[in-house]
Amino acid sequence: MSQSHMDDQARLQENTGLPPNRNLKGRFGFGKNKRPRKDLQNGVGYIFLSPFVIGTILLTMFPILYSLYLSFTNYSMGGTPEWIGFGNYVHMFNNDAMFWQSMEVTFFYAGTAVPLRLIFALFVAIILNKVIEMVGVYRTLLYLPSVVGGSVGVAIMWRQLFGNEGAVNGVLSMLGLPTHSWLGDPNTAIWTLVILYGWQFGSSMLIFLAGLRNIPTSFYEASAVDGARPIQQFFKITLPMLTPVILFNVIMQTIQGFMAFTPAYVVTAGDPINSTLLYILYMYRQAFEYFNMGYAAALAWVMLVIIAILTAIIFKSSQYWVHYEDK
Amino acid sequence: MKRNYQVPLYSVMAAALLAACGGDTDNGSETEATAGEEEIVLRMSWWGSQERHNMTNEIIEMYESENPHVSIQPDFAGFDGYFEKMATQAAGGNLPDIMQQNHGEFVNQYASQGQLADLQPFIDDGTINVSAVSETVLESGEFDGELVGLPTGMNALAGLYDPDMIESAGAELPNEDWTWEDMIDMATTVHEYTGNYGMRLMEPGNMFEYYLRDNGKRLFNEDGTDLGYEDDQLFVEYLTMNKRMVDDGVAPGYDVIGEIQGLEDELLVHGTAAINFRWTNQLNTIASAAGDDRNIELAILPGDNNDEAMYLRPSMLWSIAENSQHKEEAAKFIDFYTNQTEVFDVVGSDRGVPINEDIQEEMRSDLNETDQKVFDFISYVTDHSTPVDSNYPPQAAQVLNALEDVDELVIYGQMTPEEGAAQFRQEANAILGN
Repeated sequence: MSQSHMDDQARLQENTGLPPNRNLKGRFGFGKNKRPRKDLQNGVGYIFLSPFVIGTILLTMFPILYSLYLSFTNYSMGGTPEWIGFGNYVHMFNNDAMFWQSMEVTFFYAGTAVPLRLIFALFVAIILNKVIEMVGVYRTLLYLPSVVGGSVGVAIMWRQLFGNEGAVNGVLSMLGLPTHSWLGDPNTAIWTLVILYGWQFGSSMLIFLAGLRNIPTSFYEASAVDGARPIQQFFKITLPMLTPVILFNVIMQTIQGFMAFTPAYVVTAGDPINSTLLYILYMYRQAFEYFNMGYAAALAWVMLVIIAILTAIIFKSSQYWVHYEDK
Repeated sequence: MKRNYQVPLYSVMAAALLAACGGDTDNGSETEATAGEEEIVLRMSWWGSQERHNMTNEIIEMYESENPHVSIQPDFAGFDGYFEKMATQAAGGNLPDIMQQNHGEFVNQYASQGQLADLQPFIDDGTINVSAVSETVLESGEFDGELVGLPTGMNALAGLYDPDMIESAGAELPNEDWTWEDMIDMATTVHEYTGNYGMRLMEPGNMFEYYLRDNGKRLFNEDGTDLGYEDDQLFVEYLTMNKRMVDDGVAPGYDVIGEIQGLEDELLVHGTAAINFRWTNQLNTIASAAGDDRNIELAILPGDNNDEAMYLRPSMLWSIAENSQHKEEAAKFIDFYTNQTEVFDVVGSDRGVPINEDIQEEMRSDLNETDQKVFDFISYVTDHSTPVDSNYPPQAAQVLNALEDVDELVIYGQMTPEEGAAQFRQEANAILGN
């Protein structure tokens, strides 16, 4: 190892023509006085970081701050932003019925779809935890919907499944049950999206599964000796031991649920009568169909604040229900 | 010892960064500098069916072989998503040189942002020859005194109907003087005798606008700052009529309409609706999807006043982006598309009936049955119509969406027609800033 090390070094010196021990302090302006070597090494670190730092500043921080600025302007695509203070926010809360409609839809969607996905993921993870053979195959198959689930293709398939002539109605009529216009009825359309979200339970399931594997079997053995039944074991051991993982999943999934866009855009386009108008879809419409970029930016910031508050509440509440083993 | 690595590393990284940044410019200059003096690349975008994509690509090839220094990069999509795509390009100041635009709320939105070039200078200097185009047709491409688009062809609203179905039910066929009551009677009779839908309404934007015109009103006032009708009773009547037909099963509700996947999947095509209000340039697709054994005819829309209410409208417009570097070359292509017979040998009436009247005459001698119907219908409408409304405010898309929402709410029974009409006015005022 050290031999090739030396070779490399020699070659690099040759290429740059720099003497091996030349002090680089000052040349690049890094090392200051006392500990040049150490600071210089930090400099190298920063250089290595620079693509990401520059990338973050240019491609993330700048757009974020710019959108904050735009949210205080009347900015029509292609025009010049015109400062209107809190005008967008005032309009949103006072005069925009569609804003409240989309808010209602989104809270309903996240409020039902996130628990559905988590309960389902936990359920499947517990079953999978008991499976001994071919776990890898099952795990892969069950994870599959999450890989393809966000795609447009699946959304189109969903539309077919729940269509008037779709597979769901086909099965229902085969069983002699009444069929229903799932996507055409304002009361049921949102549920097709909720189920689509729940169906993509794969990533939460994997995390639950890892959590389950981490619970020492000795706990179960000891409780079994004391005469605990499986249902008691689940509520007294499994669930408390899983709470840190549940917390993580709840936060991640809640954020994702509030930002859902594709299903509403492709499966239902917000119809019927805006019963599936998710917030991000409404924001997209304001931006790319009505060209109200400033207003759309304001909508985005309101959602950011809502998600931040919800996340904070969940974190705050965690001290009452999350159990950490080391405490 | 270690630090000796550092200098080369800096330089390697700097080189990598430079290379990454340089990539784009390299590519750009390469394509532009290959064939000597002025190799020009034009970008062109349109929406449409696969059939239209094929025909348009063929026309582009024709143009390129006649003008070897120009190459045209096509960029096409279905109508859904086309304008979203254009919106992002507009935001980046990167609209295509030649752009298929839609008359009304769309083109006005772009024009009001200063995204579209004025074509008048190219007409004045002879680049685009419009000597065979009527003044009214040209005016339909104007916004705020500028010619922001040249019509690709002309369209009219029409009732596409299945005469055999209507006659088998013993109902009276549509004619030039039929009224709204006649329409309802016909549709109800067909529904009662055949069990099919008697009719399928158009999306409310176009249909209600027509209804207003039939009553001597407009959707927007002259300068596009307010709704163009004062009496909500008109909207109440319109909504009541639709609601009644949907409730009686004479017309399909939104649950059925929402399932229709494109023109080829229309109820009329499947033989489950007797009449469908649409645009004339869609007859070709509908008729060929319906099959040779079906007969589909065109009818004037009903109304007491339909001579005044009917209008010709550009099916689409050719526009040039303000950000284009090659406006003159783009204008030359538009001239080619407008004035060359061989273009229409390929494209037929898919982008509407040609605006060049000489070409129109030339084509007339050799039309297929469907195009013949369209041409005859358009020439009837030319004589029995008033000019199209172009006074759409930039926020029109949003207003029309609110109109559609209200229509849905009423049809779904979540609102009475009276409440719907009032809510639409309130929302329209909020959007228009009144």
